[in-house]
Amino acid sequence: MLPPAPTRFIDPAMLAGISHLDLVAKTVVDGFVAGLHKSPDFGFSQEFAEYRAYTPGDDLRHVDWNVFARTERAYLKRYRGETNSQLTLMLDTSASMGYSSHRITKLDYARYLSVSLAYLANQQRDAAGVIIFDDDVRNYIRPSTRQGQFMRVAHAIEKAQLGTHTNFAKPFIHFQEFLRRRGIVVVISDFYEQPDTVINTVAPLRFRGNDLILFHVLDPQEIRPQLKEPVLLVDMETQDALEVSPEYAREEYSPKIDAHVEALKKKAAAANIDYFLLPTDRPLDEAMLEYFLVRKGRI
Amino acid sequence: MGFLAPWFLAGAAAIGLPLWIHLLRQYRSTPHPFSSLMFFERRTQSSIKHRRLRYLLLLSLRIALLLLLALAFANPFVSRTSASVGGRKMLILAVDNSFSMRYDGHLARAKQAALSAVSNLGAGDRGQVLAIGSRVHFMTQPVEDPDALKNAIQSIQPSDERSSYGEFARALRTIAQSSRMPLEVHFASDLQKSSLPPAFSDLRLAPDTNLVYHSVADSKQPNWLVESVTAPAKIYDPKKVRVQAVIASVGADAAKRTVSLVLDGKVLESKPADVPANGRVTAEFLSLESPHGFHKAEIRIEPHDGLAEDDRFPFAIERADPHPVLFLHAAGEQRDELYYRAALESVPEAGFILEPLAVEQAANQAFSKYAFVVLSDIGTLPAGLENSLRNYVASGGSLLVALGPASAALQHVPVSNQAIQGSSYASRDGDRFQIVANADAEHPSLRRANKLDGVQFYQVIRVDPGQSRVIARLTNQVPLLLEKQVGEGRVLVFTSTFDKISNDLPLHAAFVPFVEETARYLGGQQELSTNVAVDSYVELRSAKEHSASVELIDPDGQHPLSLKEATTATSFQVSREGYYEIHRTNGRQEFVAVHADRRESDLTPVPKETLDLWRNTGRGIETSAPGEASDNQARPWSLWRYALLLVLIIAIIESVIASRYLSVEKEAA
Repeated sequence: MLPPAPTRFIDPAMLAGISHLDLVAKTVVDGFVAGLHKSPDFGFSQEFAEYRAYTPGDDLRHVDWNVFARTERAYLKRYRGETNSQLTLMLDTSASMGYSSHRITKLDYARYLSVSLAYLANQQRDAAGVIIFDDDVRNYIRPSTRQGQFMRVAHAIEKAQLGTHTNFAKPFIHFQEFLRRRGIVVVISDFYEQPDTVINTVAPLRFRGNDLILFHVLDPQEIRPQLKEPVLLVDMETQDALEVSPEYAREEYSPKIDAHVEALKKKAAAANIDYFLLPTDRPLDEAMLEYFLVRKGRI
Repeated sequence: MGFLAPWFLAGAAAIGLPLWIHLLRQYRSTPHPFSSLMFFERRTQSSIKHRRLRYLLLLSLRIALLLLLALAFANPFVSRTSASVGGRKMLILAVDNSFSMRYDGHLARAKQAALSAVSNLGAGDRGQVLAIGSRVHFMTQPVEDPDALKNAIQSIQPSDERSSYGEFARALRTIAQSSRMPLEVHFASDLQKSSLPPAFSDLRLAPDTNLVYHSVADSKQPNWLVESVTAPAKIYDPKKVRVQAVIASVGADAAKRTVSLVLDGKVLESKPADVPANGRVTAEFLSLESPHGFHKAEIRIEPHDGLAEDDRFPFAIERADPHPVLFLHAAGEQRDELYYRAALESVPEAGFILEPLAVEQAANQAFSKYAFVVLSDIGTLPAGLENSLRNYVASGGSLLVALGPASAALQHVPVSNQAIQGSSYASRDGDRFQIVANADAEHPSLRRANKLDGVQFYQVIRVDPGQSRVIARLTNQVPLLLEKQVGEGRVLVFTSTFDKISNDLPLHAAFVPFVEETARYLGGQQELSTNVAVDSYVELRSAKEHSASVELIDPDGQHPLSLKEATTATSFQVSREGYYEIHRTNGRQEFVAVHADRRESDLTPVPKETLDLWRNTGRGIETSAPGEASDNQARPWSLWRYALLLVLIIAIIESVIASRYLSVEKEAA
C-alpha cells in the first residue's frame, strides 16, 4: 500500500522556523499512514506467505497437517509476520555537517530527517533509537518501545552538537556491540570519506541481518559550487585553507564530487545497502516520499 | 609627427597608479568556511594570478586612458600639406565698401579686382563674398557657383561706415574655424592705415589663411575735408551764435577753399580759407539767422576733390526761446540775484533768462511756465506759496533752495522738509572757514565745477539729510549740497548763499559752470547730442518711456524701425550720413545730423611692412600674385582632439567594465 501523494512539499527552510523537533517530525510525517513497512522476518501472524519443505529440526507445530493429509508430504506453513521492528538512527555530527550555503545547515537537515523517521517508527509502535557520533559515539539512546521513547530520541537529536572530524571506524565498532537485535539501521552523514572506507565500515552491520540505509546529506553548494571569483576556502574540520578559483570549482571539483557520489551509490548497491542522496534544498517530505516509493513501504 | 607641448608627456608616469592597484597591491581575501577540502588540490591556483588575468582588460584600458590623456595634453601634430585636405579651399572675396572707398572710383576698382579673383575658384572650391565696413557683411553663403559670387560682388554698394580690419580678421578666423578648409582671401581695399586696430594681435589670421591684397589706392590721393564743426544744438539769439568749422587737408598741398554755411539748402554765408599743406584752418561764422524750430545745416567747402562726400559736414540746430527761471528773494536783498544772474546769463548757449521776484509778490505766481525756481535764503515762506511750490515740484518741477542767515531760524527746509539743525559759523575760535571735503564729481552740478575746489565757506546751515542724497560735504561733515526727490520733481538744497558773504564761491571760476550745469540739470536742458558720427547710437527713449512709440526716419525718408522696435528699442545705431528725423514719445520732433567718421578721410595707406606682417600671421605665401597659393606647404595638423575623443570612448568602456566587476564583487560578498 502506497502512501498518498502529497499535494505540495515543505521547503526545508520553512522547517527551520519550527522550534521543536517533534513538531517538525509531525509536520513532515503527517500525511503518511501507519503500517508502511513490513518486517524482514517471517513470523507468526495471520498473513500467509509461502510453503517450505520440512527439514529435520523444524518445529512440528508449523507443519500444515492438512497438506500432509492430502499429499503425505510435510510442509511448513510460513506467514509474513507484522512484528514490531527496531530502528536505529546513526546521526553524524562532525564539523563538516555544520556547513550551509542557505538557511539551514546539513546538520539541521539531518536532524529533521532523523526525527521524522523516529516519529514515523513511533507511530508504528516500532522501537526507535539513535546514535550520535562524530569521531566517537557522543550519545546513544537504545531502541525501545517504552512510553516517551520518541521524546527521548527527539531530545537527543535536538541537543546534538557539532563535533570535530568524522571517523567511521571507531563508532561503528561500538555500534556492533549495541546492535544485537536485527532491525533497520539508518546512517545519516555527509560521508566525507573514501567510498570503500564507508562501505567497508558499515557493511558488517548488514551481515548481521540488519536492513542498512545510507542517507547522504549534502549542501547544494557542495554539489555545484557557484564561485564568482577566487576565494579562500577553509576546511571546517581540519582548518586547512586553500585558494580556489571559480574555474577549478567548475571544471575539476564538480566531476570529483559526482564521482564520489556515484562510487558510494555503486558500492552500496553491491553491498545490498540502500543509498539516497539528499541535497539540503530538497523538500524533506518529497525526499521521504521517494524513499518510500523505492523501498516499497519497507522501513 | 611631433608634440607642441612635449613636457606634458611626463604625465604618462601616472600609469604607475593602475599598475600598483592591479598588480602590486596586496590582495586580502576573506576566508570562506567549507565542509571539506577533500576534493580540492593544493596545486590549483593563486587568486592573485587569477585576479591579474581577470582584470587585465581593465588594467589595459586604464593605462591607455592615462597615456592618451597625457598625449592629448602634449598636443601631437603631424605635418600635412594643404593639398592633403582633398585639395579644396575656401575662396574669400572681400571688398572694402567703407566711406573712403567713395574716393574717385576706388570701389569700382575694388569690385573689378574681386571679379578677377573669382577665376581662382577651382573645382570643388567654395567661395564667399564679404563687404568690409565697421562690420563684416556676408554677401553670400559659401557657394561653388562663380556667377553667384560675381553677382554678389556687383551688388556691393558704397557705405558711410568706417572700415575695421580687426573685425575683418576676426570674421576670417571664424570662417576658417567653421569651414575647416584653407582660406584664400582676396582683399580689395584702399588699405587705409586708420582702419588698423589698436592692437596688432587683433589682425591675427587662422593658420591656413592665404591673404592676397588688391590695393586700389593711388600713389597720391590729396584730400580736403571739413574735419569738424562746433555749433550749439540750440540757438536762442541768432546774433550771438558762433559756428566754427575746421578745414583740414590730408596728403595735399596748400590750397584755397571756399567755406560756406548752409541752412536748409540755402547758403547763408561764405568765406575763403587758406588750407595749409597737411594742416588745418578754422573758419568761423558769428550769426545764424534762422526761424524757430529744427534746421538742417551744414558746412561745405568748394571746390570738391576726389572724396567729395567729406567736403560737407552736416549738423542740426534748433532755434528756441530762452527758458525763464524764477528767482525768489527776500525783499531788499538783491546781492544773491546779482551774482546768480551774472553767472547764468554769461552763458547764452544755456538758454536761460532770469526773472527775479520778491517773495511777497509771488503769492499768485504760476510756476509751471518756469524751467525751475530758485529760493534764495527766503526765511519763512507764506503758507500758500509753499503749498504752491510743493505742488509745482510734485508735478515735475524743480527747485533750487539756497539757505543763509534768514533760514537759520527755520525748523525745516521749505518744500523738501529736511530738518534744520542750526547754523555753522567759522569763527576765530575754530577754523576760519570750511572747504569741500567730499563731493560726487559725477553729479551734473559738480561735473565741470572741479568739486568746488578752493572755495571757502564761512557760514552754512546744518541740515539733517534724512533720506536725501548728499552730493557734497564740507570738512566738518556738514552737507553742502543735497538733492531730494519730491513727487515727480526734485529739490536741490545749497546750504549756503550765492553772495560772497557766506562764502567766496562767486569769486571762483567754478561758480559759472556750477550755476550753468545746475540750471541745465534742474531745467531739463541737458546737452543732447544732435550731431553724431556714423555707427554711433542715438537714444530713442528713456527707460520709463517703454510703451510709447518712437518714429524714426532715415536720410532716405524710410522708416528703419519695425513696429515692434519702434515701441521697444531704446537706441538706434545710425549707419548713413545725413539727417535722421526722430518723433519722440512726448510728441517732440528732433533732427540728428550724422556725419561719416573723419578718420576715413585720411587715405594714408598701411605700410608694406605691416601688410606683410599681417599676411604672415596666416603663414601665407610671400607673393601677392593671385592664384599662386602654396598648396604644397607643410603645416602642422593637431591631433589632440582625436586623442581626447579616444579618451572619452575609453573612459566610457572602462566605466562599464569596472561597474560590471564591482557588481560581481558585491554578489560575491
